[in-house]
Amino acid sequence: MEQVVEIKPPVEVRYAKELEALRALDTGKKPKNWRMSPQAVRTFILGSHKPLIWKGEEIPVRKKYLGNDALVERCIITLAGNRGLMLVGEPGTAKTMLSELLSAAISGTSTNTIQGTAGTTEDMIKYSWNYALLLARGPVREALVPSPLYMGMEQGILTRFEEITRTPAEIQDSLISVLSDKVLHVPELGEEGLLFAKAGFNVIGTANTRDKGVNEMSSALKRRFNFETVMPVRDVSLEKQIIINEVEALALENQISMEVDEDVAELLAATYHELREGVSSMGHRIDKPYAVMSTAEAVSVYYQTMMTAYYYGDSQMDLGCLVENLVGAVQKENKEDLERLRSYFQTVVRDKGGKEGGLWNSYYEARKHLR
Amino acid sequence: MEQLLRSQEAPALDQEQPVAFFPVRHHSPACAYHLQKAIEAYKPTCILIEGPENAQELAPVLAHPDTKAPVALYYFYRDLKGLLGEEKADYKCYYPFLDCSPELVALREARKRDIPARFMDLPYGEILLGTAENTGVRKEGEKQTYNDDYLLSRGRYLELLCEKTGLRSFAEFWEKYFEIGGLYLDTEAFIRQMLTYCGLSRQHSPREELRKEGCLLREQYMAWQIAQASKEHQRVLAVTGGFHTYGLWELLEKRESQEGSFLFYTGEPVKLHHLSKEEQGVYPLSYSMEAADALNGYASGMPSPGFYQRVWECLWEQEEPKGAYRKAVLEQLVRAGRQARQKKENISSYDEICALSMARGLAVLRGKEEPGLYELQDAALSSFVKGECTLSTDMPLRILQELNRGRQVGKLMEGALRPPILEDFERQCKKFGLKIQASARQEITLELFTKKKHLAASRFLYQMEFLETEFAKRKKGADLLNRRDRSRIREVWTYGFSSHVLSVLVDVSMSGGTVEEAARSRINSYFRKSVSSRDAAKLLTQGFLMGFLEEQAQMGMQLKQVLATDGDFFSLAEAFSHMRMLYELQELYQVKAFLELRELLESCFQKIIQLLPSMGQVDKEREQACMESCLSLYQITGKKDFRMLRPVLAEAFARLLQQKSVCPGLEGAVLGLLYGYESSWEERIFVAASGYLRSAQEQQLNSASFLRGLFYTARDFVFVGERFLIMIDGLLGNLEPEAFLRLLPELRRAFSYFTPLETDRIARQAAALHGASKEKLLGGLVVSPLEYAYGEELDAYARKRMEEWI
Repeated sequence: MEQVVEIKPPVEVRYAKELEALRALDTGKKPKNWRMSPQAVRTFILGSHKPLIWKGEEIPVRKKYLGNDALVERCIITLAGNRGLMLVGEPGTAKTMLSELLSAAISGTSTNTIQGTAGTTEDMIKYSWNYALLLARGPVREALVPSPLYMGMEQGILTRFEEITRTPAEIQDSLISVLSDKVLHVPELGEEGLLFAKAGFNVIGTANTRDKGVNEMSSALKRRFNFETVMPVRDVSLEKQIIINEVEALALENQISMEVDEDVAELLAATYHELREGVSSMGHRIDKPYAVMSTAEAVSVYYQTMMTAYYYGDSQMDLGCLVENLVGAVQKENKEDLERLRSYFQTVVRDKGGKEGGLWNSYYEARKHLR
Repeated sequence: MEQLLRSQEAPALDQEQPVAFFPVRHHSPACAYHLQKAIEAYKPTCILIEGPENAQELAPVLAHPDTKAPVALYYFYRDLKGLLGEEKADYKCYYPFLDCSPELVALREARKRDIPARFMDLPYGEILLGTAENTGVRKEGEKQTYNDDYLLSRGRYLELLCEKTGLRSFAEFWEKYFEIGGLYLDTEAFIRQMLTYCGLSRQHSPREELRKEGCLLREQYMAWQIAQASKEHQRVLAVTGGFHTYGLWELLEKRESQEGSFLFYTGEPVKLHHLSKEEQGVYPLSYSMEAADALNGYASGMPSPGFYQRVWECLWEQEEPKGAYRKAVLEQLVRAGRQARQKKENISSYDEICALSMARGLAVLRGKEEPGLYELQDAALSSFVKGECTLSTDMPLRILQELNRGRQVGKLMEGALRPPILEDFERQCKKFGLKIQASARQEITLELFTKKKHLAASRFLYQMEFLETEFAKRKKGADLLNRRDRSRIREVWTYGFSSHVLSVLVDVSMSGGTVEEAARSRINSYFRKSVSSRDAAKLLTQGFLMGFLEEQAQMGMQLKQVLATDGDFFSLAEAFSHMRMLYELQELYQVKAFLELRELLESCFQKIIQLLPSMGQVDKEREQACMESCLSLYQITGKKDFRMLRPVLAEAFARLLQQKSVCPGLEGAVLGLLYGYESSWEERIFVAASGYLRSAQEQQLNSASFLRGLFYTARDFVFVGERFLIMIDGLLGNLEPEAFLRLLPELRRAFSYFTPLETDRIARQAAALHGASKEKLLGGLVVSPLEYAYGEELDAYARKRMEEWI
């Protein structure tokens, strides 16, 4: 039978070797039920200068989260404490990736996840019933369908709550008592209906602040979390590195044997950075597009262009195609955004072409695709 | 490297050694703590401290028990001989001392032990003279501080060190290994660790760079001073920035004599310039934590002095130094939480508990013995900020930041040397009856033209304002700078003394011994730098207000040169207005004609006349300014002294009108002025006005601007016969309602130049044209009481019926 290839294997599978080596070589003190010590979690996420030697093999530990190291440290300490961790920020700032890395390192799984939507109900958060079994055997534990939160409490692992603010506020509030008392009541189970959370349980939430359709969070719930605001990457060279790393990983997973063009990545990083900040490296003031200019979007623009070049072209990045994909990414909600992008080309790209020449000139010539 | 290794072997505080070197970083509590221990262990007979030696007389002031930190030494150097450059500039720098500054600890200990303590560095002026342009203490664009901690915190070496240790900055690196880590070491081990870091840091600094920054020259001088002291004293303790220790060692050699061993200076002798007291000087200042923190930017001195002050206090509150940081972090968290609650922030005790556990957890994760400043900040960010960290939610962080910065203000002992400008300031205040002891701001009213003393007081207050001391602010009175309310004869000022006033006065003290001298020297330097006639004339006005009359002749000469090179119409026009005002006021302000204003006015006038014809197409925003200038020029030619300029101006106006597409407002204004000269322009005005009103839609809008311009300079034109009014009435009557509504706002502006009486008259005439009376035009319909009562009845009926519907 042909082996099924997953589009995106979970973190614990992607980095299984690193995690195994880190666990085996970990000498630090572990909070109860954690799979590794806080120091080892830090190393897993922020990388290590030297490769780990495990079972006679050199295992390099690459830096996976580029940005604010202190933020990662705060996240780890929060999860060892009494409060949940809430990652907030603009879309595309790698909040989800960070929460997956933390869960995989601390609990060994990143898939114990509630995916918040406007249709999320309280039983999706707490528990529901297998009605056939419920009718046949009455309210017994076997008939109960546990939610990821229930599983987290029962097994002492982390529960991830993605996009928590998409869930209606009153549904979000069902977390309040669980987070403070660390107990879940299942009245149907009678005397056995008290589920005490095991050590190691905690919740990592993620929430967007700029998207449409998000709900406000109650103060009571806010008090149960430590908040970490994840900012967009402010450094162009770092943003370029993220684009290269992510595109390389995607290409490897999808067996696209094409090198990442660093110059194009830099160009794209500069474009995203300047449009997001509203000012160019040469000092032009630019109107910021309404659309979110996240690094994740830049990665997808690059990757789409790369795929077109790989399957339809000569494996060379085509700037015309890049501009077309850029238009697709920018022009989503507001018609003015295309005009803003065009004016960016007419001023910044033109002047950079004049000053630096080369790729920026070709980029400027590709402006005919801005439509 | 060899020296580096050698330094690790010998004990640093051997009482047999003639000199012990103690390396420090400024404002470092750990250095200060170990320095105190070192003094106890080494028992020096003399202490030498890195600091410009011309402050030697002030050492007892700093060490006196009545002097409370933070205090600072303020050094100045006036380049009177042009040794540093042709511009003969003034230079200044601060050397702050906190309780946790090792240098202050050394001074206080010396006093306690009754042993001499001396500053051993070159005098400030000599340091400047030994430093290349734009390096070290001569670096431009930075607040000048004597501290040279930047030597420890720069270079690729440190960057790699921070990267490898996973720390964000030099400040965090320093705190982890020296401030917190240092408290877990004994004094000998601490000195060794300091020497290792400083040695490595020095190895990565190019010698040429150090030479340019004056570092090597200073070390030569300090080494020479140490050698001198070691001849006289049995045990000398040299307290210097850690970076210099190796430089000093290189220049000294241990020798033996009959009295014992001593250090011999092996370097070149340092030649001094022997600067006079006028050229350089130093004063002690009471300082604030806030100012110290502002000066600490760019890694010179430790940031957040308030936090480290607390650490310093905690160090002495317990038996051993360990745990001081833990205690300080807890206290700062609790204080921040309490203050946040007072400001209605939702911070509970549980938040504080979570924050503390976060700080401690982070310290363990980061391999620190105790949580420090960075863990404190991280903990508050995580546990005190609810929701996304934005300007609306980060109040607790701001509160903590302020606490960490500290609020203490220092105090000098009674009788400490003060800059003469402060004495003068107090003398002047007393003379004019200004109460500077009062805590609330005071108010004073000055009768400028009846009491000479009041005029002098006003001049003094203007001088204080000009020096940007924020001591006094004029509340009411003539605003000559903006040329408003010129006819007011009284001035009302508010004033109040604060530490800011003090620090600014000290700051300007090098420019003069009195407030007047300082203001005078500043206005002269500003005047020399001014390139536009607008700025120069403004300064002239300020000089006038401050009573600097002797300077006016000199300024006049300079202003003439500026006028010659200025080609900006608006700058010239504004300068003209300023000068005209001064010309008109000179008698009133009892100012003898020190200045040949008439001549200046004339040359400015000529310059404007040259430029005037080309101003026809001025942009909309500057049209009004241009109209005002034209009116001002016109008015001055009405004065007896300037009447001969009339024809020149009329000709310039006429040339302006010959330009194509002149702005309508300006056209109206200039035509109005020309009409003032000669009534023959009447016909041209009629043609222009009817042309505008009859034109196509877009142009029609300009008609109101034209009228506005015309009324601005010649509103009497309307009242000369009825012809003009009839024409306007007819043309307005022909307008479509929409076009009229578009014109209306500008028309309203145009008619706003008339006085109420004149408006009344126009209304009457306009009404008469339509066979109506003025009352009818202004009043509404007359309703009889019967009709009114019926209306009310109908209204009540309708309301009642509608209520039934609901």
